[in-house]
Amino acid sequence: MTKQVQDAYIVAATRTPVGKAPRGMFRNVRPDDMLAYVLKAALGKCPGLDAAAVEDVIVGCAMPEAEQGMNVARIGLLLAGFPDNVPGLTINRFCSSGVQAVAFAADRIRLGEADVMIAAGTESMSMVPLGGNKPTYSPAIFEKDENLAIAYGMGITAESVAARWKVSREEQDMFAAESHRRALRAMDSGEFRDEITPFVVTEKVPDLDSREIKIKTREVENDEGPRRDTSPEGLARLKPVFAAAGSVTAGNSSQMSDGAGAVVLMSEAAMKRYAMAPLGRFMGYAVAGVPPEIMGIGPVKAIPKVLQRVGLRQDDIDWIELNEAFAAQSLAVMKELGLDHARVNPLGSAIALGHPLGATGAIRVATLLHGLRRHKKKYGMVTMCIGTGMGAAGVFEAL
Amino acid sequence: MSTASPFIVRKAAVLGAGVMGAQIAAHLVNANVEAVLFELPAKEGDPNGNVLKAVDNLRKLEPSPLSTSSKAGFIQAANYDQHLDLLKECDVVIEAISERMDWKADLYRRVAPHISDRAIFATNTSGLSVNKLSESLPQELRKRFCGVHFFNPPRYMHLVELIACRETDPAILDDLEKFLVTTLGKGVIRAKDTPNFIANRVGVFSMLATIHHAQQFKLGFDTVDALTGALIGRPKSATFRTADVVGLDTFAHVVNTMKETLPGDPWHRYYDVPAWLRTLIDQGALGQKAKRGVYQKQGKDIHVLDPATGNYRLAEGKADESVVEILKNKIPAERFAQLHASTHPQAQFLWSIFRDSFHYCAVHLEEIAGNARDLDFAIRWGFGWERGPFELWQAAGWSRIANWIAEDIAAGKAMAHISLPAWAMEPGRSGVHGPQGSFAPATHAYQPRSTLPVYRRQAFPDRLLGEDTRYGETIFETDGVRCWHTGDDIAIVSFKSRMHAIGDDVLDGVLQAIEEAERNYLGLLIWQTEPPFSVGANLKKTPAGGGKPGQPSAVGKFFRQFKRQAESLALKAARQLGVADQLMAGKLAEVEHLVEQFQYTTQQLKYSMVPTVAAVDGLALGGGCEFIMHCDRAVATLESYIGLVEVGVGLIPAGGGCKEFALRAAADARGGDMSPYLQKYFKAVAMAETGRSAEHAREIGYLRPTDRIVMNRFELLEIAKAELRALAAAGYRPPLKPRAIPVAGRSAIATIRAFMENMLAGGYISEHDYLIGRKVATVMCGGDIEGGSLVDEQWFLDLERRNFMELIATEKTQERIEHMLKTGKPLRN
Repeated sequence: MTKQVQDAYIVAATRTPVGKAPRGMFRNVRPDDMLAYVLKAALGKCPGLDAAAVEDVIVGCAMPEAEQGMNVARIGLLLAGFPDNVPGLTINRFCSSGVQAVAFAADRIRLGEADVMIAAGTESMSMVPLGGNKPTYSPAIFEKDENLAIAYGMGITAESVAARWKVSREEQDMFAAESHRRALRAMDSGEFRDEITPFVVTEKVPDLDSREIKIKTREVENDEGPRRDTSPEGLARLKPVFAAAGSVTAGNSSQMSDGAGAVVLMSEAAMKRYAMAPLGRFMGYAVAGVPPEIMGIGPVKAIPKVLQRVGLRQDDIDWIELNEAFAAQSLAVMKELGLDHARVNPLGSAIALGHPLGATGAIRVATLLHGLRRHKKKYGMVTMCIGTGMGAAGVFEAL
Repeated sequence: MSTASPFIVRKAAVLGAGVMGAQIAAHLVNANVEAVLFELPAKEGDPNGNVLKAVDNLRKLEPSPLSTSSKAGFIQAANYDQHLDLLKECDVVIEAISERMDWKADLYRRVAPHISDRAIFATNTSGLSVNKLSESLPQELRKRFCGVHFFNPPRYMHLVELIACRETDPAILDDLEKFLVTTLGKGVIRAKDTPNFIANRVGVFSMLATIHHAQQFKLGFDTVDALTGALIGRPKSATFRTADVVGLDTFAHVVNTMKETLPGDPWHRYYDVPAWLRTLIDQGALGQKAKRGVYQKQGKDIHVLDPATGNYRLAEGKADESVVEILKNKIPAERFAQLHASTHPQAQFLWSIFRDSFHYCAVHLEEIAGNARDLDFAIRWGFGWERGPFELWQAAGWSRIANWIAEDIAAGKAMAHISLPAWAMEPGRSGVHGPQGSFAPATHAYQPRSTLPVYRRQAFPDRLLGEDTRYGETIFETDGVRCWHTGDDIAIVSFKSRMHAIGDDVLDGVLQAIEEAERNYLGLLIWQTEPPFSVGANLKKTPAGGGKPGQPSAVGKFFRQFKRQAESLALKAARQLGVADQLMAGKLAEVEHLVEQFQYTTQQLKYSMVPTVAAVDGLALGGGCEFIMHCDRAVATLESYIGLVEVGVGLIPAGGGCKEFALRAAADARGGDMSPYLQKYFKAVAMAETGRSAEHAREIGYLRPTDRIVMNRFELLEIAKAELRALAAAGYRPPLKPRAIPVAGRSAIATIRAFMENMLAGGYISEHDYLIGRKVATVMCGGDIEGGSLVDEQWFLDLERRNFMELIATEKTQERIEHMLKTGKPLRN
């Protein structure tokens, strides 16, 4: 159905480890620096590529202000040492920003207007909190009842989804514990080694004894989120955090995180020119809106839409990265569409691995493509729900 | 050491980070005294680990030993292996390790070489001999050694016993007393070096007597607690609940000390841990800290130990109606006569415990204390009794009670056979306290109060029965207030209403006092002769002189239940709003007039031509808080609990409280974005946040950085006067009336509403809570106008009044008020 003139291929996909926010290993690492780091790392994976040939750099960020404000894409690529001729664009569709950047980048190639694109995502929730530094709402929200849900926090929408799709607390806690179990198993068996570029954290701190500035350096190579002490019983003891009589807890929700990811896309001609082998082919992407008060159900609308567009059946998809914003919405989406848990998040997801909002999409594209290759699977999908009621889904083919 | 150089405490050290040591360190930093807290080095990890753990625990303890949790960071952690050299910088070193003579002696030998030659070294022992302890010290240090016995919890208990050893230089005791009184805000009693000193000796005997008579009269522990709590002017926790709170092991320890060290005491055979108590301790049921003691919570019910079976049963014991009737009698002589005459076992029980503790105090007074005042204050400040034993005896008619005690001794009913001392039986004796002082058996004379310079700072110290209780010269007096002076040029206004609630008579009185101060005085001080400062607005006219004044230390005494207590007092305040009557009569217009009058008065406090100073102690809620916010300066004791609590009864602050917060947010922002500041103040009002100390009230924003916090409530008046004088001396002019206050505006209201929308959807707040919150937001953001619009104070005041009136007209707010009137509890509707 597409009107593309050529295919877009992913030739490199990498990411930082994901740190916990706001007190984790990246608490003092700026998101623009993190972005510069992954851009350079992605470029490093394309040895034959001249950076000046990059047509554009599209960066997803969910709260593009303050440390990740201005135009963080342009700032990041300049900090990464890209030549001046390479432009940069920051985009925002909350939690799908990273995969949205990949889709936009692919489309430029598919349309024949670019041969080399970089898509990325960066987010420091340690530095820019969910909602930004100054949340403010329009008085117009309160003029019509239908608009009230614009004011709803994500947690409340998760409670609504849990209630409407009858997802029990126990199911949510089991799901969360399973996410940690899978993530740890994957981590222990080196599943993330292909996608993560270890990050050297350098911090300057005052030493009040010596009266000097101390430089602390350490290399991190693993995600900080997965917990070995998690159990359904432990999770069951947590109090709901969004509703007095609710079921959504800090333990069965995604973690707040810091991280960045970057993906290099090329046309077939460019791959030949720069002697690159593809990790996979971008097949298609769809977004769809749902009522804001049940935003978590968004993938239910986006998934069928993208499948129809790429001409695949749900069963054809071997691996689904369904971002775990909340166990409640993940379970509701799986129930509604009849997704097989064995194919969903085999390496865990946001509940264990973290969710640096705007970066997650790019990060999970890296997870998916390396994973599909390693496990010799063919089709994969990255999908997520999006604040104020949307869903996104992108489909990829491993090569 | 030159006696001429003043004693300055630059830094203090506490040795031992146990329950008492850590809390003493906490109170030192509460008072802005740098504190180093020592403990043994940790066996693994950070050598300061033991102290850090203790400091961390301070943040969790209830009631909080810290005035704000941020204070914990000021306690410097140290251990005996690495940091003894830090002692050199400390001017006061307080030892608070376990009560073991041998351990203490070891430690003394270890630290002595490091203690500065100007420092005072003091032990917080609760009962070991200070003389004996001093023997482990080098001769030179003994001169600067003494006992300094704090009571648990040291932030809240007023008492500190000061005990000299034979070699203590009297000058260092005076120095330390000054430090304890002014800097730490404590009430100091000089005790003799006898086992358990004064308060514990008498207090613990009283508990033993209670245990003994409970058995004699076959009363359950729950019934005993019902009888020996508030009904007889003692803390609610009464006898056994207090023991649970203190720790049954600690109680047993003190009893054992008495058993071992007081072999010749006429009551010696009662210095024994009863079998049931020993069993509990053996089982680890040590009281509150073990979640099981005399009492145990089972589900929602409280169960009490039955000593006969060793099992627990539901605690439901009550004081008999007839006994309650007796105890309600306000005339002590009649009350005691009725108790004495009654054949009801509960009455006989009460008479017996009073008789034996009076007997005990009279016999031991000379041995343990300098005079009767010290003993009574020790019990009042250390055990939270409203009146000391001698005061009770004196109030009940000294000689008649003395005769009854003598009769009971003769009849073998008293716990000991020893006769009352001769002085107690002297014909014509009417008591032990009088205007000239309190009786000292050693000299057989009345000993006046201490003449140390530190007490010149207390124009009105804590009073004893029989002492002069007049307060200065009256300038004028109305139904609502008394305006007076102490012979100088400062006018003081004190409220006469119950709990110092503010009704129209108080408002009129304050306005009149402002006028009077402007005409004839340097300025106006609002000070109450007893806490609380004020529980807020009282829109109901109170009958002239109606109601009895708030009880002293009513809050301090119930520290354990502080939060609940503060809440319930807030509710009582609301009960007194009395708006229900007005509403029922459809007198909304009258209510609105009162709100206007309230606003006018607070504005007058702010803009009068003389400085106005609020001297605050205890609760200052609602309208009381608004008074404070409008005075030029507040001087508050650390134990001031300040808050705008109106939303609890479905209302909003309308005496300028919201307005002041809006002004403060605009000022805090210094031209920048005011939303973060405004949201903080909004939260304070919408959640009825009450400061858990004056320091905490300053963090919330009720107190300003320029407001003063004082540690000793008996020094409050003098310090407040000094502040007022300084304001006047600087050529006081009222602030210029702001005419261009930027508002946060309609978007800010929407943002706060968005936040509340989530609370509502999450079931954390009700629709009515939401409405009230919306109104608070509307007023504080300046109404439905563009952000950054410029308005004046009257704009905010009109919004306050209008929104207050809208709320009071709602059924739900009326239900809340009515519910409060009926039950004293808040209604969530």
